[in-house]
Amino acid sequence: MTPIIETRDLGKRYRHKAALTDCTLCVPSGRIVGLVGPNGAGKSTLLGLTCGLIAPTSGTITVLGDRPAAGAAQLARVGFVAQDAPVYAGLSVADHLTLGRRLNRRWDMALARRRVEQLGLDPAQKAGRLSGGQRAQLALTVAAAKRAELLILDEPVAALDPLARSAFLRDLLEFVAELGVSVVLSSHLLGDLERVCDHLIVLAGGRIQLAGDVPDVLAEHYRLTGEQAEQADRLPAGAEVIHTERTARETTVIVRSSVPITGAEHADLEDVGLAYMTRAAVASVRGLEVAR
Amino acid sequence: MIWLTWRQFRTQAAVAAGALAVLAIYLVVLGNQMRHAYSTDIVGCLPEMCTSARRDFEDAYGVPVALAGAVLLGVPALIGVFWGAPLITRELEEKTDRMVWNQSITRVHWLAVKLAVLGLAAMAVTGLYSLLLTWSASRYDQLVGGRFGALAFASRNLAPIGYAAFAFLLGTVIGLLVRRTLPAMAVTLAVFAVLQVVMPIAVRQHLMTPVTTTVKLDLAAMSRSDFMGIGPDGARIDGYTMPGAWSLTTTSKLYNADGTPYTAAQSEKCHGSNQQEDMACTVSQNIHFSYTYHPADRYWRFQWIELAVFLGLTVLLAGFALWRIRA
Repeated sequence: MTPIIETRDLGKRYRHKAALTDCTLCVPSGRIVGLVGPNGAGKSTLLGLTCGLIAPTSGTITVLGDRPAAGAAQLARVGFVAQDAPVYAGLSVADHLTLGRRLNRRWDMALARRRVEQLGLDPAQKAGRLSGGQRAQLALTVAAAKRAELLILDEPVAALDPLARSAFLRDLLEFVAELGVSVVLSSHLLGDLERVCDHLIVLAGGRIQLAGDVPDVLAEHYRLTGEQAEQADRLPAGAEVIHTERTARETTVIVRSSVPITGAEHADLEDVGLAYMTRAAVASVRGLEVAR
Repeated sequence: MIWLTWRQFRTQAAVAAGALAVLAIYLVVLGNQMRHAYSTDIVGCLPEMCTSARRDFEDAYGVPVALAGAVLLGVPALIGVFWGAPLITRELEEKTDRMVWNQSITRVHWLAVKLAVLGLAAMAVTGLYSLLLTWSASRYDQLVGGRFGALAFASRNLAPIGYAAFAFLLGTVIGLLVRRTLPAMAVTLAVFAVLQVVMPIAVRQHLMTPVTTTVKLDLAAMSRSDFMGIGPDGARIDGYTMPGAWSLTTTSKLYNADGTPYTAAQSEKCHGSNQQEDMACTVSQNIHFSYTYHPADRYWRFQWIELAVFLGLTVLLAGFALWRIRA
C-alpha cells in the first residue's frame, strides 16, 4: 500500500521564520492519524502542505503517491477541512451540497443528504447562521461526500464545547469506518485525539518530535515514579529519558526504551505526548538563553 | 464551476442590471428629447437664427451629455473596484479559499471560469451603456463635433468595452498581490484613474503618426479658429481645427508665401473700419501656417486601437493571474 503521507526533509519558511523544519515522515495507509502540538507548532503548515494549499520551500512531500494538488485527480483524492471550518456565509446548506456536486466528479449526494438530515441541519439555512458545531459538521460533510481517500481535518474540535466535541468525534469514527478512508486530524490537546487515533505525530517548534503507530508508541514508553525515578541513571542501554518532572511530592520520568524495563509501568499516550512537547519547549527556551 | 460563479455573483449582477436599467431609461428619454429639439430647432432654423439655435442646443444638453459620459468613464472603475479587487481577496479573508480550492478542480480552472464569466459581464454591461449613450448623444455629437475629445472619445462606441475588461482584470490581479480587500480596492482605483488620465494626455495621440500640413489662411480657416493676432514672438493663430479632426497644434505662427514671418507692419495695412473688408484684405496677403492633426476618418481606427490595446493588456493580466495562482 502507498503511504498516505511521505515527506523528506520537508520545510516551509515564511518571510521571517521557519514554520516547519527538516520534517521526514512516512504515514502508512489506513490510519487515523493524530497530529498533536502546541499552538504555533507548525500543524496547520504541515496540513496545508499535505493538501497542497501551500508549497514547500525545501524538501519533498507526496500524498497517496503524488504531489499534493498536482491536478484535479489528486485534489479529488484528498478532502480537507481547514481550521475554523470555513464555509460560505451567504450560501445555504443546500447550496453547499450543490457546490460539492458541481465541483467534484465522485460526489456522493446520497451520503451528503443523509448526513445533513441526521445532523438536523435545515437545508435552507444560510451557513453564516449556523453554530460553530453545525458549521464544522457541514464542512466535514462536504469533505466526506467528495469520497476522498484521505480526509484532513485541521483542529476540527477546537471551536466546539466538550459535549459537541465528543459527539463530533464519535460521529467521525462512525463514518470513517463506513467510508474506509484514512484520516489526519490535528489538535493542541492530545486528550481529544487519544480515543480516536491509531497513529500519533507530535510536532513542536516546527519539528517532528515523535511519530509512530499508537501501540508501538505505548510499548516503547515507560513512566518511572518514586524510587525507580531516582535510579533513572541506571537504565538499560539504548534507553532515553524524554522528560523528568519534579514536584514537591514526587518525581516522574518518561523514558523511551526498546528493551523492556523490568518493574516499570507503561506510560499512557497523554504522558508521552506531554513529555515530548515539554522537552521541545524547554529546549527552545534554553536555545534562546544560549543565543543571548 | 459556472454555477458557483453565478451563485456568488448574482447579487452584484442584479445591482449592475438595476443601475443599467435606470440609466437606460434616462438615456432613452434624453436621446428622444435631443432628437426632437434637433429636428424642430436646428434642422429647420432660419438662417439668421441658426447660430443662436445651435448655442441654445449646446447649452441645454452639454451638461447632461458630459455627465452621462463621465458616469460611463466611472463604470469600469466601479467594476474594477467592486468586482475585480474582492474576487480573490474576499475568499482569502473569509478563508473560503481553503474550502473551494480543495474541491476536485484546480485553482487555475476556478480562476479561469471566474475571469471569463465576470469579464464578459463587465464588457456586456459597459458595452450596453456605451451603445445607449452613443445613440442618445448622437445628435449632440453631430452638431458639436469634437469626438476626439478626451471625454467624448472614451465614452462612446468601442473604447469603454476595453476599459471594462481591463479594469476588472486590474482589480483581480491587484487583489491577488495585495491579498486584502480594502487596500486592493484603493490601489485599483488609483492605478485605473492614473491610466485614464495618462492615456488621452500622453499616449493616444502617438498611436498613429499625425499628419502635418500647411493651411492657407482664408475666411474658412479664420472662422474655424479662436484667435488671431500679434504677440511678443510674432503673429499667430490659436485653436484652428479642421472639421472632425483631432488637432495636435493649439497655436501656430503665421508666415508669408515666401516663408518669412508675417509682421505687425503687414497686419497694420489691413486695419480699416470695416471688419469684413479687413478680413478680405488679410486673406489677400496670402498667409499660411503649419497644422498637425489626426484626420477625421481615423476615428474608427483609433477606437479599434484603443480597444485592442486594453484587451491586450487584459489578456496579459489574465495570463499573469492564472500563472500566479497555481501555488
